[in-house]
Order: sequence, then structure tokens, then C-alpha cells
Amino acid sequence: MMEQGSLRLRHVGKQYQVKGRTLDVLHDINLDVEPGSFISLVGASGCGKSTLLRLIVGLDAAFRGRILLDGEPIQGTSLRRGIVFQDHRLLPWLTLSENIGLSLENMNWPRQRKQDAVHRHIELVGLAGFEQAYPYQLSGGMAQRAAIARGLVSEPEILLLDEPLGALDALTRIRLQDELLRIWQARRVTMILVTHDVEEAVYLSDRVLVMQPHPGRITQEIALDLPRPRDRASPRFTEIRQRILRDMGAVPALAA
Amino acid sequence: MDGSISLTVAALPADAPPSVDKAGLPISVGALLPLAILSLWELASHLRWVKPVFLPTPEKTVVAFFTMLTQQDFLLDFLASIEIVLQGFIYGAGLGILLGAAAGLSRAIQRILGPTLDGVRQIPAIAWLPLIVLWLGIGPLAKVVIITKVVFFPVFLNTLQGIRGVPKDYIDLSRVLTLRRWQFIRRIIIPAATPSILVGVRYGAGLAWAMVVVAEGLSGMQGIGYLIFRAQALLLTDQLLVCMVIIGVVGFTIDRGVLLLERHLLRWKQGFEGN
Ligand SMILES: Nc1ncnc2c1ncn2[C@@H]1O[C@H](COP(=O)(O)OP(=O)(O)O)[C@@H](O)[C@H]1O
Ligand SMILES: [Mg+2]
Repeated sequence: MMEQGSLRLRHVGKQYQVKGRTLDVLHDINLDVEPGSFISLVGASGCGKSTLLRLIVGLDAAFRGRILLDGEPIQGTSLRRGIVFQDHRLLPWLTLSENIGLSLENMNWPRQRKQDAVHRHIELVGLAGFEQAYPYQLSGGMAQRAAIARGLVSEPEILLLDEPLGALDALTRIRLQDELLRIWQARRVTMILVTHDVEEAVYLSDRVLVMQPHPGRITQEIALDLPRPRDRASPRFTEIRQRILRDMGAVPALAA
Repeated sequence: MDGSISLTVAALPADAPPSVDKAGLPISVGALLPLAILSLWELASHLRWVKPVFLPTPEKTVVAFFTMLTQQDFLLDFLASIEIVLQGFIYGAGLGILLGAAAGLSRAIQRILGPTLDGVRQIPAIAWLPLIVLWLGIGPLAKVVIITKVVFFPVFLNTLQGIRGVPKDYIDLSRVLTLRRWQFIRRIIIPAATPSILVGVRYGAGLAWAMVVVAEGLSGMQGIGYLIFRAQALLLTDQLLVCMVIIGVVGFTIDRGVLLLERHLLRWKQGFEGN
């Protein structure tokens, strides 16, 4: 019996037509994500990370290969697959709890259950007390927490995160990484995080996938078995981080 | 500028109602110019710089106002104008939002309506009036139609533009949240377009009030627009001035009313203070 939240990608490819030319954005992507695991995708900007998430979440059906969730091919968008965009994308005219509740608009739950779920998720991301706040009243970090709550409230099997912390200052970012870890451990939902921050990927993930552009493909896979919470200054941690950076071509081999 | 005023601003608690604005000026400063004009009017009329028949004194004008209220049917005329404007405004704004939304949501509808509406729009309301009066008579109905036309276009165009301006990212979001088309329209499209729609509504409301005065002056025997042109013909300059002031006050009230509505509807907007 398979647990919920297992994702498989088989020979996934994606092309864009730009001014009559064919642009190979993703090429032969194969990926197996175990239920409840935390995977990171790192790579320079333009290597197709966002495109890959768009395919998995079901916003773009024009691709080659197969994407299977729990053995079934995905079809369009679904509340079983959540996504957090880089810009929090909260609706400015809805309060925090209305924004999160919007995820449940088409859930077949009784009203009370929806209210409870919204309430619990606001607490989960540490925003209790801000239920009635409008997005403009939230800081960047708070808005991103709210977006994570919106992504989780419908209890998806898998949550995709597209550089959710990319726009935050360093301090808020480190704090939210710990929050993310706590939320993931509390909910045991499968998470796929896109980031350009290698340290973030190593700090959080069970597995880091390195992507390269032209065409976008996975070139390196690093399984991490360091116990959590991880010490960013430990020799193992820095060694792995350096190795990934080297794989990405960011650090000359000798400098490490 | 006086530095001590800005210091007072800084010392105010954040939630105290400001008695000075950001420019460091007391808010009542807006009353200075009207007071100066009023004084000049007093002087000019009392010292006979201008003949009384062209410029009665402010006191005589106030008296004329009460005469009109108590011995003439000023209130009836006033209410007649208000009713026409209200009706025309509601029809025009309603139709503008409805058709603007339809055209905004469907390119087909926009293609069908576009050329006709653009054509109609080029003929000013005043130029429509003679034909409409021929058809509908000099009663209120013709004026309601004209006001409807005047309000319709700014509301229609701003609604269309507001809907077309909804960011594409919100469409992705609504798909991820699996919103159905109607949910998407109600929860995302309409609120996103509201600021733009309100710009049209506010502009249309101003036009409507101006247009009723003109339309009543050009046809019919009732309304504040009729009164003002009649006062001119009979050289009742005090009554003419009363009408002008009332028209101004009503226009001002309408604009502030829409502004309040705007503030309420757009309370979610960052730092929104009206403009
Ligand atoms: N809608 C589109 N049409 C054409 N090209 C696109 C489109 N979206 C993305 N691309 C191109 O695909 C490549 C990968 O983009 P993206 O997935 O956003 O990369 P990343 O998220 O890794 O920065 C880029 O070269 C980008 O220009
Ligand atoms: Mg991206």
C-alpha cells in the first residue's frame, strides 16, 4: 500500500515557442519523491525551476512525459497539490483569514470545519492575532507565512514552494527556514522547494537536486542524512554546500 | 514655513485626528480663500463698485434664498433636479458596470459593442438632447436619458479597463485554488477592478450634476437649471446667485459622498487616503 504524496516524473520535457524558435526549457526530467520527504531544487535563474513547478501543480498541460501523483497522472490543478509563489500573491482586498479560507472555497467541508482549519493554520504559521489584517498591514515575512498557510490549509499531499523566501532579508529568512522545517515536521506533507540559496537547500532537505540550464535538466542529486536541526557551521554541512556550489559551477574546484 | 508647526505634528500620537496635514498647514486653511471672496463681494456690493442689479449684496441673496424656499416652489424644483440626477446616475452607472464587465470578460462582446459605443460617445450629450426631447418631450424622462448617457461612458470605459488590467498572476492563483468562473469573477475580478470602476463613477457623478443644470436650462419648465436661466432672463440676480451656490454645494456634496464610498470600499488599499 502506497502512502499518499508520492510523486513521480518520467521523461518530462517542456518547450516554448519564442518568435518561431523552439526553446528547450526542460529536458528529460526524471524524479521520484517519497511521501513526506523534503526535496530542494537548486539552480541558476532561467534553468526551468519555476516551469517545472508549474507543470507539477497543473498550470500547464503542454509537456512531454508523465507526471504521476500516487500513481495517477495529474490532470489540471487540484487542491491535492498546493503551491506557494515567490510573491506571496495574497489578495489585497481579503483579510488574512479570508485569503487562507479562499483555498477551501471548493472543499466539501462543513463551514465549521473550514473555520477551524483556517484558524489552526494561522496558528501553525504563527500569525494568531492577525486574522483580520489586510495584506498591506503584514511584513514580507508575515505575508509569506500567510501564503504557506493558504497552501497547506486544504491539506494537500504535496506542497510546492517557488523561492518562497527569496525576497526576504537574511535574518527573516533564517527564521522562516526554521519555521518551514517545523511546519513540515508537524504536517509531514511532501515538500518540493525551489531555491537559489544552496545553504537553505542543505539546511532543509532530505535531497538536493541541482539543475543546469540549456536545456534545463537535473545534473546532480545529493542525499542528505545529517540529523536535524542542522548546524550550518559544521564541517559536514560546509563541505556538502561547497560541493553543490562546485557542481553548479559557482566555485572554482581549487578554491574549495 | 514655520518649523514649530512641523514639530507639533511629530509630537502628535499616531492615532490622534490630525488638525494639520502633511504640508504642515492647518486644515481650515481651505476656508481662507472663500472668506476672502465673500469679503470682496460684501465690499463690492455695499460700496456699489458693481450695480446692484448685477451684484446684489450677500444679505439680499440670503433673503432671496428664504423667499424662494417659503414663497416659491424652490424645494420642488430642487427635488425635481435631484430625482433626475439620481435616476440617471443609477441607470448609467448600473448599465456601465454591467456592459463594461461583459465587454471586459468577453472579447466577443467587446467587438460587438465597441464600434457602436465609440460612435455614440463622440456625439456629446447636449447634441443628443434636441432629438431626445422631440421623442420624449420636455419632461424629466428626456433628461434622465441624457444623464444616463453621460454617466454610462466613463463608468463603462473604466470598468472595461479595470477588468482588463487584472494581473495574469491572479488567474494562475485562481486556477491553483480551483475557483470556478463565477467565483473567480466575484472574488478576484470585481474587487481588482473596483478602484478603476470607482474612478469612472466619481467622474460620472460630477458630469451628471453639471448636465442636469444644462438640460433643464435648455428644455422644460422645472428644476434648478430652469430656475437659474429664468433668473437671468428676469434679471433676478439674487436668485441666480442662490442657484449657483446651491448647485456648487450639491456638486461638492456628491463628490465628497462618492469619495467616502470609495474610502470605504477601498479600505484594503495601502495608505489609501483618496485623491
Ligand atoms: N511563458 C514563457 N514563454 C517563453 N519562454 C518562457 C516562458 N516562461 C519561461 N520561459 C523561459 O523558460 C526558461 C526557464 O524559466 P523559469 O522556469 O522561470 O526559470 P527559473 O525559475 O529556473 O528561473 C527561461 O529561459 C525563460 O525565459
Ligand atoms: Mg523562477
